[in-house]
Formats: sequence, C-alpha cells, structure tokens
Amino acid sequence: MGSERNTSIMAAGRPAPARRGCASVSGGFVRAPRALPWPVPGAWHRVRLAVRARPAGDGPGLAALVCLAAWLAFGAGPAAAAGFAVVVNSADASLSLIDLAHQTEIGRIPALREPHHLALTPDGSALLVGDTAGNEMLFLDPATGAVKRRMTIADPYQFGFSPDGKFLVVNGLARNQVDIYAVGSWQLVKRLKLSSMPSHLAFAPDSATVYVTLQGTDRLAAIDLRQMTERWEVEIGKTPAGVLWNRGKLLVGIMGSDYVAVADPADGKVERRIRTGKGAHNLFLSPDGKLVYVGNRVDGTIMALDAATLAPGRSYAVPGGPDCAAFAPDGKMWVTQRWARKVAVLDTVTGAYSSIDVGRSPHGIWLSERAQ
Amino acid sequence: MINPVEFAAGWLHETLVVPLLYAADAMQWEELGYGWTLFAAYGLAQVIATYAICVPLERWRPVERWPDRGAVTTDVLYTLISRVGILPLVTFVGFYQAQVALNGFLTDHGWVPPTLERLVPALLGQQALTFFLYAVILDFADYWRHRFSHKLRWWWALHSLHHAQRQMTFWSDDRNHLLDDLISALWFGVVALLIGVPPLQFPLLVLVLRLLESLSHANARVSFGWLGERLLISPRFHRAHHGVLAAGQRSCNYGAILPWWDMAFGTADFSRAYVETGDPTGPEVLASGGYLAQQWAGLRRFAAAALGREPGRNEAWQRRRA
Repeated sequence: MGSERNTSIMAAGRPAPARRGCASVSGGFVRAPRALPWPVPGAWHRVRLAVRARPAGDGPGLAALVCLAAWLAFGAGPAAAAGFAVVVNSADASLSLIDLAHQTEIGRIPALREPHHLALTPDGSALLVGDTAGNEMLFLDPATGAVKRRMTIADPYQFGFSPDGKFLVVNGLARNQVDIYAVGSWQLVKRLKLSSMPSHLAFAPDSATVYVTLQGTDRLAAIDLRQMTERWEVEIGKTPAGVLWNRGKLLVGIMGSDYVAVADPADGKVERRIRTGKGAHNLFLSPDGKLVYVGNRVDGTIMALDAATLAPGRSYAVPGGPDCAAFAPDGKMWVTQRWARKVAVLDTVTGAYSSIDVGRSPHGIWLSERAQ
Repeated sequence: MINPVEFAAGWLHETLVVPLLYAADAMQWEELGYGWTLFAAYGLAQVIATYAICVPLERWRPVERWPDRGAVTTDVLYTLISRVGILPLVTFVGFYQAQVALNGFLTDHGWVPPTLERLVPALLGQQALTFFLYAVILDFADYWRHRFSHKLRWWWALHSLHHAQRQMTFWSDDRNHLLDDLISALWFGVVALLIGVPPLQFPLLVLVLRLLESLSHANARVSFGWLGERLLISPRFHRAHHGVLAAGQRSCNYGAILPWWDMAFGTADFSRAYVETGDPTGPEVLASGGYLAQQWAGLRRFAAAALGREPGRNEAWQRRRA
C-alpha cells in the first residue's frame, strides 16, 4: 500500500503537518515540482517561445530579442502563434495542447488517471487541472503548459474560484462532497457532505454563496461561503448539470430533460423553464455578455439564448456530445465533443464548425488567449 | 487517424446508449455509460480479431476434427456474454466505482493510493512500458488465482466447467461459470486496486491479455519452439493444462500469458504434446449440456463441495473410456 502521507486533505480544522522530504510543505505536494517530458515538435516550440516572448508592458528587452529569434528561426512572427489551448482528455489520462492559430494538436501532457476540469488561479499564476481517479491536482504553467506541481486531493471533479479569489471550491462527484480550500495555502477549510453527485458550480458575484448541482438527487444546493454551511437544497429538475449566474438569476441545465431552469438565487425556486433541447447540459456566457449558449447533450446541439430576455435564438448542430466551451480571440467557440475525440471550433456567425482531433473523451478546455 | 473501434463506440453511444439513458431517467450515468460502450466495442473487436487469427490456425493445423461441433457453439455464447456483456458491466460499474470509493477513502485518511507511476515517476507518459509492467503483475496474480481455483475444492467445483470441454477451441477461453467469472473479476479487481491500475486502462489491459489467452486454447498444433514456449504460453503448452490427466486439484501449466510463474514454482510441464482434453471426473452435462444446464450443474456442484459432499461424477464418459 502507499505510504505517502497526504497533508492537504486532512480533516477540516486540523492543521496539516509538514510532509517529510517534501519540497514545499504549504501545498502538501506529493513530490517536488517538476516539468514533465512531452514531445516538443517544432511548432510547439515556436508557440512556447512566442508566448514567453510576449512583451509585458515594461518595454523591449530580452523578450523582444527572443521574439526576433523565434521569427528568424521559424519564419513566422508571434502573431502567427496566437496561443494555445489545453484540452483535458478524461478517458486518456492526458492533456492535449493545441496551437490556436493552426488548430492542430502539438503536444500531450500525461496525467495520472482521469482528469476532467481545469481553472486558472485568481492571480493567473497557475492553471489547475483536477484528476479525479488520480486524486491529484496538477498545477500547470499557463504560459507554457508545463506541469509545475502536483497536489494530492480527493476526487477533484468540477471546481472553481470564488470571485474574491479567497476560496477554491471542489466538487467530489464520486464522493458526494464539496471541499472548500483556502487559495494560496491550499488547506482544506471545510468539507460538506451533500446528497449525491455534486457536479457543476457557480458563484454569486459577491462571493457569499456557491451553487452546486446534485446530479444524483435532482437538486440544487446553496453553500454559504461566509458561514461555511449549506444554506438550502431544493429540487430543480432531472439530473441537473451546468449552472450559471446570469443577471441576478441562476440558470441550470436540466440534462435529464430538455430545458434550462431559471431559479431564484435566494431560495432556488424555479421561476421559468426555457426549452433548449434534449439533455440540456452546460451553459456559457458569450464574451460580450449578450448571449447564453446552452449545450444539449442528447440532441447534439448548442442553442443561443438572449442573455437579457432568455428568448431562444439560433441552434447549432454540434454532434458527439458537446460539453465544455471557451471563446477564442476571433470569437469562435471551442467546444469539446466527448464521444468523438474532437474539439469543435464553431463559427457562431455562419454556424459552420471544424473539428480538431484530441484524446479520448475530451472534457474541460482552456485557451491561453480568449475573446474579451 | 480515426480509430475505428472508438469511432464505432462513439456512434453507438450517441445513437443508442444516450437516448436509452435519457428515456430511462438515468443521465447521471452517461459518463460511465460511455466507458461501458467503449469496453463493449473493444470486446466485440477483440472477438472479431481473435476469430480472424484463430480460425485459419485451427483449419490449417487442427489437433482434432469433430463431426458434431455442438459443444463449440455453446462456447461461442460464453464468449459473447463474457466479452461484450458481463465483463464490461463488472468492470465499469463494479470495478470503477469500487476503485473511486477506495481511493477517495484512503486519500481522506491521509494515504495516497499506490500506483506504479508514483513509485516510479519515470513511468509517467511511458504508456507502453507501464502497460507491460501492469500486465506482468496481473499475470502473476492470475497464476495464483488459477492455482487456487484448482486447489480449493469448492472453487474447483466451479472451475471444472472450464475443463469439461472435450472440443477445446479458442472459444473455450470464456467457458466459465458466472460465479467463477465473478470471483476472478474480484480477484483481478483487488489486485488492480492494490497496484493502482488506471480504471480506464484496465479493460484494455484485460482485453489484450485475453486475446492471448484465447489463442492458447486454440485447437491448433501450434508451438512457439523451445525458447518461445518459455517466453509466452502457446496452444501446445496450455493444452497440457486441459489434458484429461491434468484435470482436477493437481494440475500443471497454470499460467495464462507467461510461463515464467510455472517455471519458477515448479508447475511447468513442457513434455506433453497435444493431449486429449476434458474432465473425466465431472458430470456429462458440464461437457455437452446447454449454457443454462451447465450453469445450474456448476452451481449444484459448488453447493455440494461447499457443504462437504461429493460433487457429481461423469460416470458415462468413464464407462466409455473404460
């Protein structure tokens, strides 16, 4: 049996003891941070150089020289290497790195078992990737994609940071628990046992509450982040999935049915139901905040809703189990297609999409450059 | 490049499994369902691949020819149930859930569940090497499972169904009592939990191992030569294990993939060549009965053995042999 002591997942309230032989005790890392080896083809090397070389506002210097060197060496300027995407291949135990400009996979990072979701830390210093069955959180360098640290953590499925940047809230889908960590120290502040299968989450803008969908019991839970207690839990619809805060209301994708439930954040009471398609799953706000996109898992479509009125708009065909999405600087929507081993790049103006091959069951997606 | 098996699995999942889960109000199992679909698709692909490899071999150099192949037909049913039905179900619903629960429990209590990659960090990303190491460890574990299934009386009462087949072909690999299958899955699962086999890698590992196992049961005069037989189990080597003299609680050649464990623990017998197969001590129904009749007879023998009574014998065959 394993003999490594886990220092970050101690019971709430108990201080985590320092781990023997650990490079950094504050985060309870399994081992010293290190970059993992992965194939570094020429194109990826160029992307890394370009990303690192982007001027940070403090004038030209080494960065500009590196930019020039990259241009001279590879015949293309940093504009061509516009950034990269990280796609989490949940059933492949790997992360795909994709060149945004060329829309091709340029590298793979191995994970331990079954990674699903990812999120950028509030200070932008690390991109966190949760490995559920591996019980690990990977800390990637958001500039290069290199793995900097590995933190032991129980079943990190969907997770997010409170808007005030104080807390990391982690849903343990398989373990029916929600863990709240202090950002920076990464110590467990509170563990809440909820009814069944906590899946997606959304924060109130004031960071006072986090809302969690419970897929196993068809409920929505509100957790008070000031009191660290569950405030309420109400029935919301069959197999609720994605939840989004939108203009003072909560929108919840009802995956076991064909609609988005509009709920009052105060008590979870459903006020309206907006029909979007079978298997309403995940919700994403467009970069300009005018549209809410809803992925319909069973129908294989994405429907745009007017964010202000929630009036249904255009529907896009994206088969293969559309799931997580992110918006590129050119406004195109990058959507993971879970059962097709692909990422769809959807032009929401024309409705056409192209697909990029990735690993098995791609789930979370993050773009190093996003539409503003 | 499109992987045809995964393409088929994705299509099947999208057009059949997901709509069924949706209709059954079971969408929370959609993700697990995809794993099952994937496994079942690989299982079917494995059956096709095994068929494509073994049928030409069996026609080219058969050990035996039978005018009536009725008993083989029953083995085909065993294979389909095991590789496309039961095994995926046990693996994905049982094994996956158990591993998640156990790993989470251990992590909660301050223990990092063991994995080969954590013990040897250099293995991370080295999929072929990691796969090979896991296969060797699991094969070692399976050697002991198999030995115990012969040694323990109640277990042999179940396992003798596998040995009852007189028309042994590549289809015979999956001819097992369901209870024996369940015990094997638990055995494999516990060992896999102890060494941290990735849940979604595990089925593929099992499928590759079982492709080789099927080959070892083939009704074909195939040997891998002096050295090859000591590296990988051949149809010739494994046939000795199914020989009428080897049936029962004292046998030989227990290995499934690698003969190393038989060689190391003194149970290897390389001398026997293409012997007659079957179990003269078991009842006839285990050899020539239908699927359900075999299962029922196996269960009765298991119950009798567990209660300390004598399981039924194959008097008819023994009279014929005498």
